[in-house]
Amino acid sequence: MNELAKIFGFDPKKYDQWQINWGLEDPWMIIISLGLMMPLALWFFWTSLRRVGSTPKKIFLFSLRIFAFVFLLMVLLRPELEFKKSHSLKNHIAVLLDNSKSLSIKTFPQEISRADLIRKTLEFNKKYFDQLKTEFNVDTYFVSDGVKKTNSGLENYRPHRPYTNFSPVLEELGRNYENKSLQGVLFFSDGADLTEEPEEMSKGILNSLIKMKVPVYTFQAGSNDQFKDLALESVSVSDFGFVQQPVRLSVMIFSSALGNRNVPLVLKEGDRILISKIIEIREDKKYYKVDLQFTPRKIGKRIYTLNLPRFSEESILTNNQKEFEIDVARDRVRILHLNGRPSWDSRYLREVLANNPRVDLLSFFILRNLGDDVAAPTSELSLIPFPSNLLFDDYLSSFDLIIFQNFKYEPFIDKKYLTNIRKYVEKGGAFLMVGGELSFQGGSYSRTPIEDILPVSFKETDIRFIDQEFHPKINEVFSNHPILRLEKDLELTREVWDTLPSLHGANLGLVADKDAYVLAELENASYSSVPALVVGEFGEGRTALLSTDSVWSWNFRKEGGSRYFHRFWNNIIDWLISEPQTRRLQLKSDKDRYQEEQKVLIKFKLLEKNYQPASNVTGRLTISSRAGEIISKDLKTDEQGEQVFSFLPKQAGFYRASIVIEELKEEIMFSVLKDNAEFEKPLVNDFLLKKIAMVSGGQYFVLDGANDLSALQFDNSEVKIKSHSRSFALWDSWWAYSLVIGLLFIDWWFRRKAGLS
Amino acid sequence: MAAAGYSDLTLPRIIYKGGNDNARPDGLRSLLSQVARRTSIEVNREPVALKLSDPNLFKYPFIYLGGDEAFEPFADSNLKTLRKYLSYGGFLFIDDNSAKSDSGFDHSVRRMVKRLFPQTPLRNIPRDHSVFRSFYLLNTVSGRAIIKSYMEGISVKGRTVLIYSANDQAGAWSRNKLGDWNYDVMAGGYRQRQLSIRLGINIILYALTLDYKKDMVHLPIILERLRRYQSP
Repeated sequence: MNELAKIFGFDPKKYDQWQINWGLEDPWMIIISLGLMMPLALWFFWTSLRRVGSTPKKIFLFSLRIFAFVFLLMVLLRPELEFKKSHSLKNHIAVLLDNSKSLSIKTFPQEISRADLIRKTLEFNKKYFDQLKTEFNVDTYFVSDGVKKTNSGLENYRPHRPYTNFSPVLEELGRNYENKSLQGVLFFSDGADLTEEPEEMSKGILNSLIKMKVPVYTFQAGSNDQFKDLALESVSVSDFGFVQQPVRLSVMIFSSALGNRNVPLVLKEGDRILISKIIEIREDKKYYKVDLQFTPRKIGKRIYTLNLPRFSEESILTNNQKEFEIDVARDRVRILHLNGRPSWDSRYLREVLANNPRVDLLSFFILRNLGDDVAAPTSELSLIPFPSNLLFDDYLSSFDLIIFQNFKYEPFIDKKYLTNIRKYVEKGGAFLMVGGELSFQGGSYSRTPIEDILPVSFKETDIRFIDQEFHPKINEVFSNHPILRLEKDLELTREVWDTLPSLHGANLGLVADKDAYVLAELENASYSSVPALVVGEFGEGRTALLSTDSVWSWNFRKEGGSRYFHRFWNNIIDWLISEPQTRRLQLKSDKDRYQEEQKVLIKFKLLEKNYQPASNVTGRLTISSRAGEIISKDLKTDEQGEQVFSFLPKQAGFYRASIVIEELKEEIMFSVLKDNAEFEKPLVNDFLLKKIAMVSGGQYFVLDGANDLSALQFDNSEVKIKSHSRSFALWDSWWAYSLVIGLLFIDWWFRRKAGLS
Repeated sequence: MAAAGYSDLTLPRIIYKGGNDNARPDGLRSLLSQVARRTSIEVNREPVALKLSDPNLFKYPFIYLGGDEAFEPFADSNLKTLRKYLSYGGFLFIDDNSAKSDSGFDHSVRRMVKRLFPQTPLRNIPRDHSVFRSFYLLNTVSGRAIIKSYMEGISVKGRTVLIYSANDQAGAWSRNKLGDWNYDVMAGGYRQRQLSIRLGINIILYALTLDYKKDMVHLPIILERLRRYQSP
């Protein structure tokens, strides 16, 4: 070795080993090719030496050729001489401490937390670990759904991680020791991996164990004996639902060591109880699947709470309550459309409603009056009785919008039901009256609840309905109003309104209320400003009226008018049912769900009555949680009518933000999440810990705080590792090439001398 | 009598060249009279006759084209107007008053419809069509003469825009001002005339309410009545 190093001019003290390496990664193709070609070439060469008489000469020439081939092979295989220095290393032992939240659960009979049981065990075996450290590199890790190396030992050991998943833990551990000598793993955990199925071990864990090829010794912290708990383990429910449509949820309840008792499961929205169901808990059964169903009545983000009673002897109390949020939307707009008589106006409006996929239409045409003689028995008629009781008593609240089109309520609807309509609008419903001879005073609505809810009052007049030609004219003040927007561009919208066909017929004697918005008027030579399209608000609901029965001609008489006719009605519907884009006060948060310690941004926008931005208006923003009001602050709108407010929630839970400006109020809800998944599957998973130990060749132990680990011994064979090296190419040098050329030259010279070609 | 309103039901007759576009002068007025008597619809009984080129055509979403002889083909511009009229929501009822099969009027109508909707031929209207249940429950096609036991029609985007009857419906509807029937019905008598009037009312109700009677709220009652009505 020393002589060899000197030949290549190195200090032999720096290296203690040498070896030959081949430059090609896969030299076999070359070896096989040359192995086949060389004997053939040599055979041809030997036959070409027949003319050489002297046998020694023949052998000499043949030897030269063989040497030349051998050197050629050497050049092709790129041999390298490597000098290297190696040194010994300590083997590694990995200690894994599960720091997920489930380790904070109290265990029996020790009545200490699972984490404390681990602490106690490690302290009890301090000498063993100190001894282990002298022989091995002992690496300690906190593990949950990832791996974090720690040098501080137990000082920072705290069960706080929100999720347990051992598959990535073992995978990352394997990567960490890829080029190191890991001799064993000590794994302290309750085994409560949230991703593992009961009595199963996932392929992810199995593959990592096979790849690591080291024994894993598992130490079970805690046990399921005497573990008392009643838990809402999981709630399976869509986070999206539809108003007036049943929402189904499936709840998994876990019970352990609570004996036989009946417990109520209660579903609440705020303080209102939606459902209550008695669950019969039995000693010999741990899991109870409960299916519930309820119907959301209001749209928006709604927060619901499931509650189970809390018993003092339980190990965990936080898992007896669970909140969830459902974004309740309108699947379809439910419209009740009553027509006093079939007419072109009602036919075209029905077509708009029936062809709108968003609309769930229930329409009734009064096809015959009491005085009509149908000249046929009822059995030969397709007419059905008008179900006024069902519509205006039982199912009234299920409609988003009620339309009376040229409809006289008597004798079809009892007058008392008009009061129901008033209440319905007051609570947030929508009502539209479309003109005609049977509308307004013509329908005997004077001094009825309908007159109250409409944004006009009726003035006695000799002519209630006049059949004259009128030109519709929009009120410039409200040109930005969403109902009048027939085009996106304001100027284009004005042009469209100017070119719409004239209308025939108008209801007279309508006087707009003070707080009503007259969006359009009718005018002709005789009448200057007949309120045509008037909208208003009543209680929490919205109402509108159209004082003519001839807007159908916009669809029929104008080329391309169908588009505007449809848009006009759809705008009216959107405004009446208070679609978000039609609200003057809009409030939203930048997210629906926040994590703990995440900042919440709340933005609101205010529009004037004419839907222009309202600047410099002060509103009161209130943020509250279940505990009560948290923030109440006056905020002023900017030039765009907007303002933004941010705050940092101090604790997890559901929050409500509301803004009040003048008579307008908007409210939103958002949640700040705290991950309690660890307490939803709190049981110790002894199967998984046993299986990990078995598959890896380790052992499984149950901790009692005084386990003696000194019997655990690990292989500690010497590990050599290369510290530095130096390589020399044996082929890429002048003498290697010279040798090949020299041999070929001598070969040529002797052949020439022997008279060969 | 109050003056007719703009939105009241008017049944204009289409004037065309050649043939006889007013073969049943009292037919439409008589039908409107029945509509007013039997239903809640407000009608305008004043006779209105229009050419397809008349700009007032677009004031009346229902038009009637009747006759008993062959007529001259409509100009392309008129057919274009008619096509537009029907696509905007208008409705055309064609009535062959000749009471003959394979009549000259029938040939003219088929030629016209072929030019009007080259891609959409006339098809028999099925018995479950809303026109047979829009007011009366009907299971037969009547008329002054039962030339065909069915009506034909053309539907565009789910809406029937044209109905053609070969059975001289207006002949069965026609009454003079004294209340006497102008034409005898062939073979059927009083019941056949009544069924023709019912069909006429149903056609008008269909034009005014479309598939209203196919709404789910009506179905159980209608199907039950149809079952009883059709069972012997």
